[in-house]
Formats: sequence, structure tokens, C-alpha cells
Amino acid sequence: MRSALAVLEEVVAAGPGVTAKEISAALKLPQATTYRLLNLLVGEEYLVRLPDLRGFALGRRAARLALPVVPTPPAAARAVVEHLRGQVRWGVHLASFRTGQVTLVDPDPDHPPSDDVVLARHPHASALGMLLLADQPDWRALARDLRPLTEHTVTDPGELDARLEVVSAQRVARQCGQVRADRGCIAVPVHDPATGALVAGLALCGPAARVAEPNTELVALLHEHADRLVPLLA
Amino acid sequence: MYAASTFPPYPALMRHGALSGLRHRSPVHGLDRRHLGPPEVLAQSVSSAAPAAAMAAAPAIAATTAGSGTIWSFVIATVVSLLIGSCIGRFTRRMAVAGSLYSLTAKGLGPAAAFTSGMALLVGYGVLVMGALVGSATYVDALLGRLGVEASGTVLVAAAIVLGALVTGGVLARVRLSARVVLAAEAVSIMLMIVVFVVLLGVTPQVPAAVTGGSGVGGIAAGVLPALSAFIGFEAATALGVEARRPFRTIPRVVQWTAGVAGVLYLFATFTQMTGFARTGLATVDEPVPALALALGQPWLALLLDLGIALSFAACALATLNALVRVVFSMARDGIAPAALGATHPRRQIPHVAIAVVVPVVVVVPVALLASGLPAAQVLADLLTLATVGYLVAYLLVCLAAPFFLRRIGELTPVPVVVTAVLVPVLLVVLVAFVVSAWGGVVPLAIGALIVVGLAWLLWLRRRRSAQLAAIGVYDETVTADVLGGHEGSPL
Repeated sequence: MRSALAVLEEVVAAGPGVTAKEISAALKLPQATTYRLLNLLVGEEYLVRLPDLRGFALGRRAARLALPVVPTPPAAARAVVEHLRGQVRWGVHLASFRTGQVTLVDPDPDHPPSDDVVLARHPHASALGMLLLADQPDWRALARDLRPLTEHTVTDPGELDARLEVVSAQRVARQCGQVRADRGCIAVPVHDPATGALVAGLALCGPAARVAEPNTELVALLHEHADRLVPLLA
Repeated sequence: MYAASTFPPYPALMRHGALSGLRHRSPVHGLDRRHLGPPEVLAQSVSSAAPAAAMAAAPAIAATTAGSGTIWSFVIATVVSLLIGSCIGRFTRRMAVAGSLYSLTAKGLGPAAAFTSGMALLVGYGVLVMGALVGSATYVDALLGRLGVEASGTVLVAAAIVLGALVTGGVLARVRLSARVVLAAEAVSIMLMIVVFVVLLGVTPQVPAAVTGGSGVGGIAAGVLPALSAFIGFEAATALGVEARRPFRTIPRVVQWTAGVAGVLYLFATFTQMTGFARTGLATVDEPVPALALALGQPWLALLLDLGIALSFAACALATLNALVRVVFSMARDGIAPAALGATHPRRQIPHVAIAVVVPVVVVVPVALLASGLPAAQVLADLLTLATVGYLVAYLLVCLAAPFFLRRIGELTPVPVVVTAVLVPVLLVVLVAFVVSAWGGVVPLAIGALIVVGLAWLLWLRRRRSAQLAAIGVYDETVTADVLGGHEGSPL
């Protein structure tokens, strides 16, 4: 166990392309042990073999071991968000989905949003979280525990599935009182035009009763600002 | 989902330009990458080895030379299979392939040996599919006969045609569906065989098998030949490397488990049959298990037996065909077979052109052989012998290749060298003995003809496609998306 972690650490320290022999020498581990550990870590996809089959690099799964660091968005993107804040009386938040979670990168200082940890852990309840789930091939892999946060939280997988269909079709997610009973949010996605990947979400949060209204102009305004964010974030 | 910039770049990112050589998509793209779970992959290997069919027939064949030592012949064959599996595992823990042993051999021994392995696999897999179709049709015919349908050549040919159509449908389905059909058929057939053998064991007087005369070490060694041929096909999961969800973990395990499970089933079957024929000797009976069933006044057991064997052969045909088309597909992607054969169906994610070319051959040949009026049992025996020769050549080459592969990537340890040093002479002797034992029949002639065809193909490739030939060994390489930090950076 300790040796496996040491091998993983050595691949990070030495950089991609490091060979089994080099790792064995650096850690003073017996060769057979090193090879077995490397094969184990490759089997579990924490490491990958490079195309020459000699060198190793970190696999995508290793990302789960690190605390994801999301850099602050560029000033131009924050200016777009600030512009929207000037036009509406509700809270405006920008979130990144790059780490596979909801991470607020520009929360509204005048209208503090819900706790980061709550948003990250319960994507089924929040509007931003539903954008993320609707983008997954199988959302159940990300939202295993449909816990009720308020009496309005959708906890039935079938109902959530139907709502996520609507989110995908209309490119807008909406929740009323699902995270906090008195608040609601409308969120729209920002996609990378080259890969189609979901990169960010822009949300408007206000009183739950008001969010439940059609708000056609607000949604249009959100989409307009989200479109302006595309070249800045993608 | 994970972008480079979400993590602090790790040091020496451009060390040897290590990541610059990564492709954006795998050279074997188009297959249903990383989708099959362990049970589906296991079904592929187990079905291709067809233990249910071999349980009934192999012990009696081995007993003709090994006598009361038949058990030992199977113990040796199991150990040899496990060692072959360990050699294959040296590769499959490190690379995922669609071309089975052909693509593996290329990484250890180079183009000429890999080409020979590919040729041997085309023969082994192709002829085993034909043999399995003949076998399944034979037992469907026998089953119908027991139910009162009058036996005739027409029934046999019709059964072969229907089975051929079913197998074609199976291989054209998405690989997940196809693997599940194989899994269900094989599970049922093994269950049936276990029921039959447990009942036989229960009602047979328990006489220790050792009371009959033994035939010494030489007899046991000769018995390894048919015993080992009962294992062929256990490596078939290797061809699903690209499609398995966790290939580096699943494929090596599945191949070893298949060898182990088949070994246990054969030992059980051998023990049962030797107990049943303890007085007369197992080798003296033509069809031991049905004879045993009838002698015990349990004719319904013979029905179950026929059904189990027919199902097992049908699953074997489908599983082996899945492996065969992936070898053809890999050869096409390598550039040594027509490029069109490397195409994949966009929706079903199967090599549909390779299937369209291969299926008519492997279905029409057995139907034609049966329709020509040759005795089905002889056709089956000859096809299985020819297939076994192909497999043995491919096993021999992959076992030889393992230590060379490990040395090339700088991960050689003593154990693989010892295993290869033991296995290669054993497999060489078995191969020679196999060909010699078939001497005088059609099998050596067929082998000779295939060697001529193979040599002609190799010479043509040397002259016209030397660059492609030198570079063969396509596999599911790590691509940019698999590597942490392989993506291009972006602001968020």
C-alpha cells in the first residue's frame, strides 16, 4: 500500500515518460515488486502506459486524488458577469464544471449563494447542479444520493430524469426552494463550441415564488450573457 | 471533463517530449471502447473453450492412451494452460488489443512471427467456428433423433444452416448483446452438464478408478494431447481488450480463470466417467456418457446431454467468430489486409465489413461438407484437429514472445524466462506429436496447403507492403484524453 503510493508519487515527481526501471531505482524497490505495483496502478487506471509501452504517465483517474484547483476566470469574463449584475436585482453567480463538480468561481458578493460544499455534493437539488447532471451520459454516476434538502427537493429518480430531459432540451435549469425553501435559481449552460463540452454555468437566484414565473426576458438575458462568455471561457 | 489547467502542471511536463507523441484517437477506434463488464468478457473465453462439449468427449479420447492415468493427463494439461495464460497475461496487463495473440506476438517477436501467429489464428479460429457449427448441428440432429424425428442428412444440413443464421445474427448485434447471449447459452450448457454428471456420479457404484490397469508415464504424456485440445479457445477474451471496461485488470484474470474453471470441469468429468467405467475401462466405449446414462436406465439424461453439448458448440461458434473478425479487423488496420476490412459500423461499433467477408466462408464450408455426405463425426474430428494445430502454433509463438517483449520494454524478471523455457519445448513436442498423430489423413494436406498460401501472402507483403509489414501490431494506445494533463489548457 505504502509502496503503491510511493510509485504514484514518483511518477508525478519524475514527469510523464518515466520508465519502470527508473522508478524501481529511485525508490530502491525490488524490480518485480515495482512492476507488479505499476501493473496494478495501470489496471486501476491511476497510471497509463505511453505508446512506447515503456513510459508511464498519470491517468485521468488520478485527478480524483487531488483537490481540484479552479483558477479565477479572466477579467473579461468577470466583466460580463458584473454587467448582468447591473441589469437585474437578483444574485448572479458563475460556476465552473471543469472538475466534474459545481464550483462557484464568481459568486455574487451582494447576494451570497448557498454553501459551496452543499452545491458540490448535492447537484440534484441546485439549478447549476442540474445543468451538470443533464450533460452526463448517465447522471446516476454523479448523483448517487438524492437526499431531500427541503420539502421541495426532487428525490424521485424518475422525476429527476424527466426534469433533466427538459433541461437538455431547453438549455435552462430551474429550481424553486429545492436547496433553501425561500430561494430559487435559473441557470443556463456555457458550452465549448469546439468540443461541445459543458464548461460553466451562469445562474440567477432570487425569491422562490418569483423564480417559478415564466421570466422569459430574464432567461433571454441570461442566454445572451452566457453567449458572451463562450469565447472567454471555452 | 478534467482539463490540464485545473491542476498545477506537474514538473518536467515535457520530459523527453513524452506526451507529444500521443494520438488524439486510438488506432483501433470505431469499436465499442471500454464498455464490457467482467462477466461478458469471461463468457467470451469460457464459450470459446466450450468446456461443456469437451467434458463429454475429451476424457474418453485421452483414456485411449492414458488409461487409468487420464486424470493426470488433465492435471498436466491444466497446468500447461495456466502457464500459457500467464504468458498471455504478461502482455494483456500492459496493452489492450483486438487482434488477440497476433497483436501481442508482434510486440515481442516482430513482423514475421506475428504474421505467422495471425495466419495460425485465422486457421485456428476460422476452423473452430466451422467445427463448432458441425458439432452443434450433429447434436441437434441426435437430439431430434431421440425425440423421434427420423435421422437423415437433410435434417443435419438444415440444422447447420439454421445455426449458421443464428450465429450470424449474434455476431451482427452490438458486442454487449452478443456477449450476453453467449453468456446465457454457456451458463445453461455448463449447468446441464453438471446436472448430468452429478446424477451419473450419484447412481454409479463408487469404485476407485485406480483398480484398472495403468498405462505408465508414456501413456499419460500422450493423453495430454487430447486433454490440451479441450482447452483451446480459453484465450479468446484477449480479442475483447479494446471493448472491456477495465482491460488491464479483467483480461488477464478472465483468461486464467477460464483455464482454471475448464480444468476443474474436465477433472470432474474424467473422474465421473472413470468411476462409471471402472470395470471395463473408459477407452473401450464409443460414446461414454450417453452409454452410461442408458446403462443406468436414465435415458432423459442423454437428452439433456445432447442439448447441453449443442448449446455449448453454438456458443463456441459465436464467441470464436467474435474473436476471428477482430483479428481480421486488426490485420486490416495494420495495413496487411485490405483496408476496407478495418471499417466499423458507426452505430453498432462492430467490424461489419470483416464480418460480411468472414461469415459466408465459415458458414458455407461446414454446410457444404455436411451436404456432401461425408460422415459428420469424421468431419468434426478433422476440423477440430486442424483448428488445434492453428491454436498450438499461436500459443507457442506468444509464449516465446513474452520474455522478448518484457526485455524490450525494460521489465524483464527471471520468472517469465523460466516459464517460457519450460513451455516452449513442451508445446513444440505437443505440436509435432499432434501433426504426426494425424498423419495419413486430410489434416496434414490442409496444413501444407495453408503454409503455401501463408508464405505466398508473406512474400507479396514483403515486396509490396514492406513498410506496413514492419510496423504491424496495432493496439489500443493511450490517447491524449486518457492522460491527466493531456488536454490543451483553457482559462477555466
